[in-house]
Amino acid sequence: MATNSIKLLTGNSHGQLAKLVADRLGIELAKIMVLQYSNNETSISIGESVRDEDVFIIQSTESHSINDHIMELLILINACRTASARRITAVLPNFPYARQDKKDKSRAPITAKLMANMLQTAGCNHVITMDLHASQIQGFFNVPVDNLYAEPSTLRWIRENLQPQDCVIVSPDAGGAKRATAIADNLNVGFALIHKERARPNEVSRMVLVGDVKDRTAIIVDDMADTCGTLCKAADVVIEHGAKAAIAIVTHGILSGDAIQKINNSKLKHLVVTNTVPHEEKKKLCDRIVTLDISPTLAEACRRTHNGESVSFLFKHAPVD
Amino acid sequence: MRQTCIFSGSSHPLLVESICERLGQNPSQVELRKFANGETSVEIKTSVRDKDVFIVQSGSSQINDNVMEMLIMINACKGGSSKSITAVVPYFPYSRQSKKKSHRGAITARMLANLMHIAGVNHVITIDLHASQMQGFFKCPVDNLVAEPLLAKWIRHNVPDWPESVVVSKNPGGSKRVTSMADALKLSFGIITTDRRRPFTCNNSMMNSAILEPMALDGVTDDLNADDVEPQQVYTHSDLTRTQSRNGSEPIEQDFARQRASSSASNSQSQGRDRRPSRPERPRAVTNMAPGVRNRLANGNDIPSSPLARTSTRIDSIDSPEMPQPGLLRRNPTAIGVVQPNADEDGYESPGGDEDEDERARDVITGRLIHGHLVDDDAPSPNMSVNSGFSPQQHNGQRTSSDEELPEAMTQSFMSVASSRRTGGLGGTGDAAASDEEEEEALHNPEIETTITLVGNVRDKPVIIIDDMIDKAGSWIAAAETVVKRGGATKVYCMATHGIFGGNALQELEDCDEIDKVIVTNSYPIPPEAHDMKKLVVLDVSGLLSEAIRRNHHGESISALYRHFDRY
Repeated sequence: MATNSIKLLTGNSHGQLAKLVADRLGIELAKIMVLQYSNNETSISIGESVRDEDVFIIQSTESHSINDHIMELLILINACRTASARRITAVLPNFPYARQDKKDKSRAPITAKLMANMLQTAGCNHVITMDLHASQIQGFFNVPVDNLYAEPSTLRWIRENLQPQDCVIVSPDAGGAKRATAIADNLNVGFALIHKERARPNEVSRMVLVGDVKDRTAIIVDDMADTCGTLCKAADVVIEHGAKAAIAIVTHGILSGDAIQKINNSKLKHLVVTNTVPHEEKKKLCDRIVTLDISPTLAEACRRTHNGESVSFLFKHAPVD
Repeated sequence: MRQTCIFSGSSHPLLVESICERLGQNPSQVELRKFANGETSVEIKTSVRDKDVFIVQSGSSQINDNVMEMLIMINACKGGSSKSITAVVPYFPYSRQSKKKSHRGAITARMLANLMHIAGVNHVITIDLHASQMQGFFKCPVDNLVAEPLLAKWIRHNVPDWPESVVVSKNPGGSKRVTSMADALKLSFGIITTDRRRPFTCNNSMMNSAILEPMALDGVTDDLNADDVEPQQVYTHSDLTRTQSRNGSEPIEQDFARQRASSSASNSQSQGRDRRPSRPERPRAVTNMAPGVRNRLANGNDIPSSPLARTSTRIDSIDSPEMPQPGLLRRNPTAIGVVQPNADEDGYESPGGDEDEDERARDVITGRLIHGHLVDDDAPSPNMSVNSGFSPQQHNGQRTSSDEELPEAMTQSFMSVASSRRTGGLGGTGDAAASDEEEEEALHNPEIETTITLVGNVRDKPVIIIDDMIDKAGSWIAAAETVVKRGGATKVYCMATHGIFGGNALQELEDCDEIDKVIVTNSYPIPPEAHDMKKLVVLDVSGLLSEAIRRNHHGESISALYRHFDRY
C-alpha cells in the first residue's frame, strides 16, 4: 500500500548528500542493493516496495566514475519503473554532460540531449536539477524539469561572511555574465567581467578584465569549477588589477585533474562550492575550500514536488536550517 | 565498400582492425577522449553525411564507459546526418540482465536497447545474446549471429575423438545451447545442475552494496535475516540416512509410489521453509529420501506452478518406473528426467551405493561442492566446525565402513547449522535458471554447500562443456571436477562464445588440472597476457562480423552465416 510519503533512493555517488536530504525530510533512505558483476556491469535490487509510491532518486556524479553513476541512475530509474512506481523524479544536483549541449563543431554529439532522452527512456517522469550549465537543457526534456538555483544560498553566505558593500562580483567568462549580474543586483554592488579566449576545452589562454575591482573583494562567480584553470587565472587577473582579495563561489565543485594543486598555488582566498558534487576527500587536501550545504533546497524541492506545491519560492529564497 | 564508415569504440580496437582488414578498408577516424571530469568526449573526424555507419563496440572492464561512448558515437553520427547507423556489438553489455531476477530489479538489457534506439541506431549486429528473446527488446532489426559453427568447426578439427565426445551444459538454462551443438555434431549431451543448500551467511544490511544475496536455485530466496536459525541435529540424521540407504540399495525410483501415497499427508505443508520438517517425524520407510525432497516431490507433482516448478519438471518426467538403459543413452540421453537422488539437507546425498551399482543405469551422478570444489561425501560440512578440513580427492563413490564414523563436527554446537531456507528479505520466487553469477557466489562462499548433479554418461569420453560466456571460473571448475572425478571423463574442454574472465578466472582455469582446453572467441577483448596461457584457445570472429557487415551493406541475406561450415 502506498504510504503517501516520499521514497528517497540514492546510488553510490553521493550518499552524504542523500542522507542530509533524507534527514531534512525526516525520512529514511530506501534500502537498495547495488551489485557489480565482475566485468563492472551494474545490477540493482530495490529492497522495499515502491508500488504506487512517489520515488525520488538522488544521484550526483563523481569525476572518476561518471558513466558508472549514470548507468546506475538509469538502472535505478528503470527498476522503479518496472516495479510500478507512480512517479519517478530524478534529482540530479549536478547534471552530467551538461557542457556538451550544442553542436559546436561538425559531427559533435549533443550529449546533454542524449542524456535527457536516456533519462526519459529509462522511465523518469520529472527531473530536479541545480544550476544547469545552460537553461536550454530544460527544453531537451519532454518531462518537467525544475532547475533550482544555488544563488539564494550563495547570497546568504556572502551576506553572512563578507561585507557586501566592499565586494564586486566578477564573471570569469561572458557566458556567466547573467549569473553574475543577478547576484550583483541582489547585493547592490558592482560587476566586472573577464573575457577569455579559449583554445581548447579545459584550457585557458588570454584574459581581459572589463570593469573596476580596485580595493574591493572580488567575488568570482561561476556555475562549475572543473580543472579550475579559469578560476585561478581569473584570480590572478583581479589581483593584478588591484583587488583586495579574490574569492570564488561556484555551484558545482567537480575539481578534477590537478585542480586542488592549482587552487593551493593560486591567489584565491577561498573557494566556496556547494555539496552538489562529493568533495570531502579533496577538502582535506585544500583548506581554502568552503562547503555550502544546499541539501535544504533540494529537500524542500522534493517536498514541494511531492505535495504539489509551487517550487518557485525556492528560486528566490533559501530554506533556513 | 563504398559510402561506409566503420568506427571503432575504445573497447576492442584489435577486433575492429581485423574486421576492417577483411573488408579492405581502414577504420574511420574518430577521437575518443575523456574530459578532465571523466565525461566521455567523441569527435568524429570524417564526414558521415549520407553514409552507412558501422560502430563496433564490445565490452571491457570499463563497461559503462564503453556503453556511454557507444551511445555518444551513435548520437554524433546521427547528428552528422548519416544514412544509417549499425551498432556492431559482439558482446552485448548487460545481456545477463534480461529479466526481472528479483522483485524490483531492472531489466537493464531492455533499457539499453531503448537507449540505443533513442541514441539513433538503425540496426544492431551482435553475437550469441545471452537470451535470444532480447532481440524483441529492440525496435530496430537485430542480427543475432551465432558462433556455434565456429566452435563446432574447432571441435571437429581439434578434438581427436570428437565423435565420441559428450557436450555438457553446466546449468539447466544452457541446455538449449548444448542440445543445439549436440544436434549439429550428432553427439550425445549431458547436463549439470548445482543445487544450493544450507546457506549460512551472516546478516547483511542491504546497504552494504556489492554483497550479492543470491537466489537459491530452486527459486526460494534466501533470507537476509539470520534470526531464523534453528538448531537441528542434522548430522546424526544424515548419517542415519546414509547408513540406511547404503544397506538398502534399492533403486530410488521405487520410492516414488510410496511418496505419492504419502504426499497428501506432507502436502499440507507448504513449500518454502517447510521443507525441513522436524526429524522425528521422518518415516523410516523412505529413509533414502530426505523429507525435504519428499515434500518437494509432492508439491511438484501436485502443484506444478509452484515456485519449485523447476524441481517438479525434473521429477514429473520420471513417471515411468523403467530406467533408461545404458545402451539407449546415445542420442537419447534423457536421463534428465531422473530425480536427483541426493537431497538430504545436509548434503549427504542418500544412496551411497548408488554410484557403484546404479550409476550407469541412471546416469545421474551427484557430488558435494564446498567452496567451489568437489569434496568427498564424508567431508564435514564447512559450517559445522572450524576444523572442517575437507579432502579434495574423490574416491569415486567407493567407501569403506571406516568412513562410517560420525564426523567430529557433529558434537559441535547445534547453532552452527543454519536451517536456512531463507524466505524473507528480497522476496520469494525467482527465476529457476539462476544466473551464473548467483551460482558463482554460492560456490565461493565457504559457508555454503552445494550439491552438483551430472545427468548423462560421460565415462571414458571427452567432455565439452559449453555455455555462452565464461565469466568467473568457479562453476566451470566445479563442473569439470564433477565430470572427471565423478563421471570419469577423459578430457574436459571448456567452450564459450564470450570470454569475459572476470577476476582471476583465467588463471584459475589454467591451474585447474581437470580442464584441458579453454576455447573462447575474441568477441570480448582478451587481455594480452592471456596469450601466455597454454590452455586458452581464442577463435577469431572478425570473419563472421565482417561478413555480416558486408552482407548488410549490400543487402544480401545473412542466413548463410548461421550454417555450419563443413557439414560432413
